Amino acid sequence: MSLETRLQQLREDFPLVSPADVSARLGSGALLLDVREADEIAQGTPEGAQAIGRGYLEMRIENLAPERDRPIILMCAVTTRSLLAADDLRRMGYSNLAVVAGGFNRWKDEGLPYVLPETPDADALQRYARQIVLPELGQAGQQRLGQARVLLIGAGGLGSPSALYLAAAGIGTLGLVDHDKVDRSNLHRQVLHRDDRIGMAKTESARRTLEALNPAIRIRTHELRLDSGNVESIFEGYDLVVDGSDNFPTRYLVNDACVKLGLPLVYGAVQGFEGQVSVFAGAGQPCYRCLFPEPPAAEFAPNCNEAGVLGVIPGIIGLLQALEVIKLVTGIGEPLVGRLLLFDGLSTRLREVRLKADPNCRYCAEGREFPGFVDYVRFCAGAPDPEQDPVSPQHA
Amino acid sequence: MPRIQIELPAALRALADGRARLELEADRVGTALARLGDLHPHVLSRILTRGGELRPHVNLFVNEADVRHEQGLETPLSDGDSLLVVPSVAGG
Repeated sequence: MSLETRLQQLREDFPLVSPADVSARLGSGALLLDVREADEIAQGTPEGAQAIGRGYLEMRIENLAPERDRPIILMCAVTTRSLLAADDLRRMGYSNLAVVAGGFNRWKDEGLPYVLPETPDADALQRYARQIVLPELGQAGQQRLGQARVLLIGAGGLGSPSALYLAAAGIGTLGLVDHDKVDRSNLHRQVLHRDDRIGMAKTESARRTLEALNPAIRIRTHELRLDSGNVESIFEGYDLVVDGSDNFPTRYLVNDACVKLGLPLVYGAVQGFEGQVSVFAGAGQPCYRCLFPEPPAAEFAPNCNEAGVLGVIPGIIGLLQALEVIKLVTGIGEPLVGRLLLFDGLSTRLREVRLKADPNCRYCAEGREFPGFVDYVRFCAGAPDPEQDPVSPQHA
Repeated sequence: MPRIQIELPAALRALADGRARLELEADRVGTALARLGDLHPHVLSRILTRGGELRPHVNLFVNEADVRHEQGLETPLSDGDSLLVVPSVAGG
């Protein structure tokens, strides 16, 4: 059968909808699919349309429209490709199909509303091709990653894997806070750094590694100790914070700043062969203080230098943090909000427990005024009541 | 009396003869900890204060539920329950 004969048949099979009638159908639950190529979509796509390349139509349609009887309207530049696409969908069992008469050309001619989507450049299309193809992510998800500004606290054991994978995934702005310098004893787990960078600032070492991996993103470095005096001005430039710090004063400071500024916090911590991950998302969800109202006494709180850690443990936990960041930024999946994941590397067991917001939490309880930053070093050294402490900048 | 299992984090296992899990009989969280204390007193001192309160940097979960949001040390236990000890750690 020639193409023209087949199209003639398809024109009889599928109803044509005029562009002006589409929005009313969208309002009553129809799905508008723009099946043109990416370079055409870059010139504009109707408001409310799902841009779905014809090449991936069969693979993606079930995610967009699991119900086979949902009304679907297909659109291309004129009508040819949308008729062929409708034929494909009919073979998959879709029963309520229509085609936009005159396609996007007529849509524009009639002055109907359209948007100019931000489309990735050729480098980005290649670089992120294997994740853009995921229906859950797609170009819209990739765009959200590119717009995200994520701050990593610590370029160490947790920050290294997080930063590497977040940079690779295309997080548009990646900030790193660390005051430390690369030491040989870091290298078994802090895989951002290299032996020939011993003595270099970790932020600078991290920048070099990440820019070599993905020159398309922006790396911002903050070579300083986070403290009560600088935390707000740094955090204000970001949408989301990832805690990979290695001490309790910084962890409480980071939590309190995130509560105050309303920033989601992706928490991770490790010791020995074990690790913990959670997401403290604000807005009535538990915060770090709801889970651990106070730090342990110093003798019960060894850090990695004192207690030791197997390098792969922060690798695993840091990557789980990166996964949560990607989910939060793109809105896909089910983030670890209100749940604490516990990993035991010795038995290779993953446990999950439920977390609830503490209605009496000094920092995040509903209706509470933010009590102010405290002297976190004193607080973690066992100061009796942080609310009584003066607010003063203090190195964390 | 319900038979339950206490699961200890690696940081406390050295104080419990290296054991990750202990099976014992108890009908409430408090009595389970008391039995744990009889067997391994140093572990208990890391979980409870001298006054017998749960330390603020330690969480206890009966299965998936935080006992602070249940009935604290009075939280009842059933046969087959798991009592998970989760202290805060800061390493990164």
